[in-house]
Amino acid sequence: MSERALSGIRVIEFCDEIGSYCGRLLADLGAEVIKIEPPGGGRERLSPPHIAAAGASVDTSLAFWVHNTSKKSVVLDLESEFDLTQARRLATTADIILEDYPVGYLGARGLGYEKLKPKRPALVYTSVTGFGETGPHASWAYSDLIGQATGGVMTLAGDPDDPPNTIYGNQANISASIHAAQGTLLALLHAEATGQGQRVDTSAQEAISISQETAMQTWDMQRTNKIRSGSKGMLPIDVPAFGTYEAADGYVFLFILAPGGEDLPALVAWMAEQGLAEGLEREPLAEVVESLNMETLTALMSGAGADLASKVTQLSEIDTAIRKFIKTMPARVIYEEGQARRLLIGLVSTPADIAANSQLRARDWFLTLEVDQAVTIEFPGPPYRLSETPAEISDPPALGEHTDAVLAQLQSEVP
Amino acid sequence: MSKRPLDGLRVGDFSWYGAGPIAGSTLAMYGAEVVRVESEAKMDGIRSVQPIAMNDDGTFKTGYNVSGYFNNYNASKLGIQLNLNSEKGQEIGYRLIEKCDIFLTNFTPRVIDKWNLGYEQIKVVNPTIIAAYAPMQGLVGPHRNFLGFGAVLTPITGVSHLSGFPERPPLGVGTNYPDYVINPGHTVVAILAALRHRNRTGAGQMIELPQIESMANVLGTAVADCLANGTVQTRTGNRGLISAPHGVFRCLDDPESVASPDRWVAINCRNDGEWRSLCSALGRQEEFADPRFATFEERKANEDALEETVSGWVRGLRAESVAELLQANGIPAGVVQNAQDMLERDPHLKARNYYQYLEHAEAGRTAYDGTPSHLSMTPGYHTSAAIMFGEHTWEVCERIIGLNADEVADLLADGVLV
Repeated sequence: MSERALSGIRVIEFCDEIGSYCGRLLADLGAEVIKIEPPGGGRERLSPPHIAAAGASVDTSLAFWVHNTSKKSVVLDLESEFDLTQARRLATTADIILEDYPVGYLGARGLGYEKLKPKRPALVYTSVTGFGETGPHASWAYSDLIGQATGGVMTLAGDPDDPPNTIYGNQANISASIHAAQGTLLALLHAEATGQGQRVDTSAQEAISISQETAMQTWDMQRTNKIRSGSKGMLPIDVPAFGTYEAADGYVFLFILAPGGEDLPALVAWMAEQGLAEGLEREPLAEVVESLNMETLTALMSGAGADLASKVTQLSEIDTAIRKFIKTMPARVIYEEGQARRLLIGLVSTPADIAANSQLRARDWFLTLEVDQAVTIEFPGPPYRLSETPAEISDPPALGEHTDAVLAQLQSEVP
Repeated sequence: MSKRPLDGLRVGDFSWYGAGPIAGSTLAMYGAEVVRVESEAKMDGIRSVQPIAMNDDGTFKTGYNVSGYFNNYNASKLGIQLNLNSEKGQEIGYRLIEKCDIFLTNFTPRVIDKWNLGYEQIKVVNPTIIAAYAPMQGLVGPHRNFLGFGAVLTPITGVSHLSGFPERPPLGVGTNYPDYVINPGHTVVAILAALRHRNRTGAGQMIELPQIESMANVLGTAVADCLANGTVQTRTGNRGLISAPHGVFRCLDDPESVASPDRWVAINCRNDGEWRSLCSALGRQEEFADPRFATFEERKANEDALEETVSGWVRGLRAESVAELLQANGIPAGVVQNAQDMLERDPHLKARNYYQYLEHAEAGRTAYDGTPSHLSMTPGYHTSAAIMFGEHTWEVCERIIGLNADEVADLLADGVLV
């Protein structure tokens, strides 16, 4: 068998929703990740949707599946002294402890870093929590929603007339897990080079806060807050060919004035081919069309676009014609054809569009995993491809699937 | 000072905009020497994007070195100007790559080809290099040369369709979301894994991180639901699948929040016990008896009424007070914070010293993102402020690439180091 990137590394994982994706990243790269789960499983195993063909159970939650591939599952009740003893013995075999319990929970049960360190000086002990291990909010109750709220991304998302929006997919947890994986691997490299282990303290609030884009620097440099603006992004006014447009059967996102591609006249030429240019190719509008490019947008963002801002009527006329044109075609056609014309257009993909995405299909991104003897499913592929040590994804464990085997092996490892 | 995990490693950061330079920045914060390659022949656009640092008189500073957007992702690096459009420039590029452990880029394959920076090409000059390519759509496939920035990747990967309120069109999430954590974070994870492999075997390798795959991977539940069950999920606002209430509720306005006076508190009751605590903490024991809200199933079935009720309870209160009160009772709650809160009013972030302030010759003293993973023995931190355009061209050419002063002068005169 060929060497994996994380061959020979054992991770004992005490994670549910916040840190499980971190464990998955390590497991897919070849670490042995033993997930210690409470009897009945954690919240992630209870989350819908389930794999319908296999029936709803703790073993068929898709939320669990996507965050727990390639791991082993051992059920131990950390409220029971007998099981705790087993957990402590297991922990002494770990190169990495990964945990997302409330601050102090494992420490109170003899599973904290200080207790384990004397036995494993090179141990990397990673905690992934809502607010980190220190600070006045360290003990605050946390869920992904609270991470996104306190991390500053919600205030930027949505229409100004609506409440702030969350980003789909428990992204505070995901961000924390990805940063925890970086920190864990950095600490592992250090431990392997020096024999010195350490604690890695990852805060979900801090991790998601990096996705505020420029809001942080805007306050810092200009003493003002960025707020949600629908799909206007950084622009102070509505500008044609920038934002979400309704197609015949869905939506596309136009970002045509950004650098790298063709500017607006190329879109107008396409509209003209279809007989739908609505006068945009002629004066007086052609001049405005010509003037819309990254330079004018940059000026606009710097508050220097008074000239453009004075042409609101023409801008709106241009936008109406573009909206009418986009509405005549299916979203996937606009995406493919627009990109072929080097126009910066994105499909607003539904999950069905992702499943059918011709690029992902051509690249064989999707995997097939076995759920049980009767059921196999297609499954999202890995985030990256390493030529020598690829991520290899196998189905996640059934609850307690490896309890007996791991504990039997523990007898020989730690007699 | 303690040795840092990446001390002694050198990175050739041939990337631009967000996702690539952020990955380089993380490596720099843990000790790698990161050489960022730029050229006026293909200017990194975010050098001129807002926010721009301001003068005392309220006018914007000018030039390439004063964008907070760029600066936040390019501290602790060395900056060299090198025009890779020219054959001579490519030769210097190879000589730099020869001295690197890690090569990093997020250009499209069209540009990679033009600059002759494919893995098979750079492997010739540096057989053990770890070469990370993070183009939007990957290096191969029918969409390989599709145009894109994070702004377009957000819709393409499904983030836009799945986020926001169902009665609204898909607006996106207000940022180029995949650019800041998901794609640079995955890139760094892959690089660190490859480093471990190289430490053990001596072998380098190529990493391909198609940004679309990296982002779609973390929308896995919705994608898997479609693949496994044929279900096409859509956006559901702020509601949760296994909690209610799960949302944000408007509180008293905060006139001190500049340009952002509306104030909201996020509240999440994960079980009936937390709902009971919420009612009790807010002095609403009578509503707790309301049969519409007695169990999770009931609260979920009557979620409009539930949200209206909770909104009424908190509308006249300060968001901070509600969050603190609920947290004191063990209920997940928090203020929907703006950047002013993050930098100046959140006592917790302040106590953790999350942001790092650095003095920059042109932009002044400004804030930089820290590292959300705090390593107790080898913490990540910035050692210098953002690179100015071409700031270290001479140093990189002489000290790292090994050119002498005459050679550097010739390259400058020939328009190679521009």
